[in-house]
Amino acid sequence: MASVARTNRSRTEEQRQQDLDKIQKYRDLDDQIQHHVKRSNYGDPALFQLTTKLLRLNPEYYTIWNTVGWVMALEGVAEYFSERHYETVLRRLLAFALGGDPARPRDVPAGASGTTPDEKEGGNTTTNLNDSGAPKEEADGDEKADLAADTAIIQAELAFTIPLLIEFPKCYWIWGYRSFLLSVCDAILPAGAARDFWVAELALDSKMLTKDRRNFHAWSYRRFIVSALESGAKNDGGNTAKSMTESEFAYTYSMIKVDLSNFSAWHNRSKLAPRLLDERGADDAARKEFLDQELELAREGLNVGPEDQSLWYYHQFLMDQIIALGVDGKDAKADGLIAPNLSLADRREFVDREVAEIKDLLEDYADVKLIYEALLEYAMAYRALGESDAADAANQDEMMSWLAKLKELDPLRRGRWDDLEKSLKA
Amino acid sequence: MAQLQDLPDELQLATAAHVQYIQSLDSRKDEYEYWLTEHLRLNGVYWGFTALHLLKKPEALPRDATIDFVLSCQHENGGFGAAPGHDAHMLYTVSAVQILALIDAFDELEKRGKGKAAVGKFIADLQNRETGTFAGDEWGEEDTRFLYGAFNALSLMGLLHLVDVNKAVDHIKACANFDGGYGLTPGAESHSGQIFTCLAALSIVGRMESVEADKLGKWLSERQLPNGGLNGRPEKQEDVCYSWWVLSSLAMIDRTHWIDRNALFGFILRCQDTEKGGISDRPGNMVDVWHTLFGLTGLSLLGYPGLDDIDPVYCLPKSTTERILGPKK
Repeated sequence: MASVARTNRSRTEEQRQQDLDKIQKYRDLDDQIQHHVKRSNYGDPALFQLTTKLLRLNPEYYTIWNTVGWVMALEGVAEYFSERHYETVLRRLLAFALGGDPARPRDVPAGASGTTPDEKEGGNTTTNLNDSGAPKEEADGDEKADLAADTAIIQAELAFTIPLLIEFPKCYWIWGYRSFLLSVCDAILPAGAARDFWVAELALDSKMLTKDRRNFHAWSYRRFIVSALESGAKNDGGNTAKSMTESEFAYTYSMIKVDLSNFSAWHNRSKLAPRLLDERGADDAARKEFLDQELELAREGLNVGPEDQSLWYYHQFLMDQIIALGVDGKDAKADGLIAPNLSLADRREFVDREVAEIKDLLEDYADVKLIYEALLEYAMAYRALGESDAADAANQDEMMSWLAKLKELDPLRRGRWDDLEKSLKA
Repeated sequence: MAQLQDLPDELQLATAAHVQYIQSLDSRKDEYEYWLTEHLRLNGVYWGFTALHLLKKPEALPRDATIDFVLSCQHENGGFGAAPGHDAHMLYTVSAVQILALIDAFDELEKRGKGKAAVGKFIADLQNRETGTFAGDEWGEEDTRFLYGAFNALSLMGLLHLVDVNKAVDHIKACANFDGGYGLTPGAESHSGQIFTCLAALSIVGRMESVEADKLGKWLSERQLPNGGLNGRPEKQEDVCYSWWVLSSLAMIDRTHWIDRNALFGFILRCQDTEKGGISDRPGNMVDVWHTLFGLTGLSLLGYPGLDDIDPVYCLPKSTTERILGPKK
């Protein structure tokens, strides 16, 4: 729900009348659609136009998206996925519907009415389609024309939702409808042509993420598209999966460079890192090196923004990679770790160095509570790595002083610090 | 609770105004917004009714007319839509079950509706038997909101046996992240809303063993910002609704004392429209019934005086869940 400043809620008589007019128009549209739906009158092209109008007024009205889906799938979802029959029906129906709907673009001209360059990407897709030499069996003239018509319809539908998506970027149903359209592509287009739609969709997703870098719909959608694009079916049409881990990993870096606080990007990076190393066939030395570089990346950020939780969470993720191994390296699920075979000496060295670096931060930022939190966290981890009792005792005093600082700087979480104190003294 | 009395007048709960606001919601048919939000109607009834129960004014909405409306949203397949003529979906089906639980009307579902068994079947059929997760409807969108909704409604109706609980629990575990939180699908970033759905689902089936309570508690407690409000993810703005998602999650791992109670009270109460009733996302914004409920549940969970106790797992009054499920240990 978008937040809107509170205003005086009373209306003038004129405003009230305007509202009533809008309501009448809206309910009229709704009634007409329900009238068709009640009679299962999905074949009437007027229905498609009505849904277009209503969805522009209210894209949150999920039943109407379903109606559009039903129109597309016509008499049954089961048939839709399994029957060739669907292809012909959809084509006939939608071509007919769109023909009568001047509100929707028939084609997607570059730089047309929309507000983003995505539509241009849609246009590129058309070009790519022609160039791609679709792998489908030689089609006769009619089939080629049908294919072009299908492509145009799907493109028009995708274009229709773009302005809605820009206005309502957190509307589940719009994202859902786009993924439905992609599944239609897979069902009716040759593999190469369908793939182009998915590629264009990834570009759209990137655009949405430049508009709102934290939009979790867009991040989820991105992972969904990437995983589809990686599948064998989307590549040689067979079993060869083609990983996009390298390019997606690079993408997280490009997002982080723009905004260090983008935890969504850091999160995705944490998910991609272990996979990246596996796919690179990285040996232990390369893994250690990787860990080193990532720690440095996080620290570089911390040097300028130690108040940023995103950076600390990523730093903590990396430290967990080291700490989780435990003293003998056996009590951890080494599976999926960045550097599963680090020696105990290496691990102590890593922790030692990070703690020293973090302590250095205090010289410039003595009042940043997240620094003390990290120091405490890692000091406890260091204990778990089997430090000597003597060092422990020295450490204890330091830890209590950090805790005292936390209580002073962060009174909101007093209860947590009290609990921590109890466990440290235990 | 001594400190509460020290709060200035504008930080007292405007109970009467909130009751009036909720009562007025269905009389706004001459407002365009009323029609634009019809797809939330059944949720809205649940939000409003639950809020009234917390305010100890359960009789402020008519029980019989509510039952009639709820049942008028039910489809042949057992599922409920947002309003008559709207398609059946998990989100509304759960609200319907919660409302009927709240006003003790499951018997009406048997007498005049399609019956519990049909509702249970509608929900159970939405489980993905391979991965254990749930879709919202036949179109197939899946996320942990629907899994939680399914567990919530099915357990209230005593029908959890209709689904594969172990698979669903495995799916939740797959949604866990290094920070102790959960995302809406495996691989997704931790988000307070999804953390609530995952923890509550695990609580319902008594399978909290995999939860990293300390780690998660730290993350959740860091959601409180200097103004007392809570955000949903790192480096995001505060919003009253997170008073519920974050706080109920902290309650499920026994760590509500890891944030500052009075600071949150102050934030929620500053979001009230003390004159016309209702609570908004942030101070000075337009109120709505969703934020009104989640402001009140936040206050209730922290023991604000004069409010009924909320169950952090079901988001229903404790008196309701105890009547149906028996007292909690």
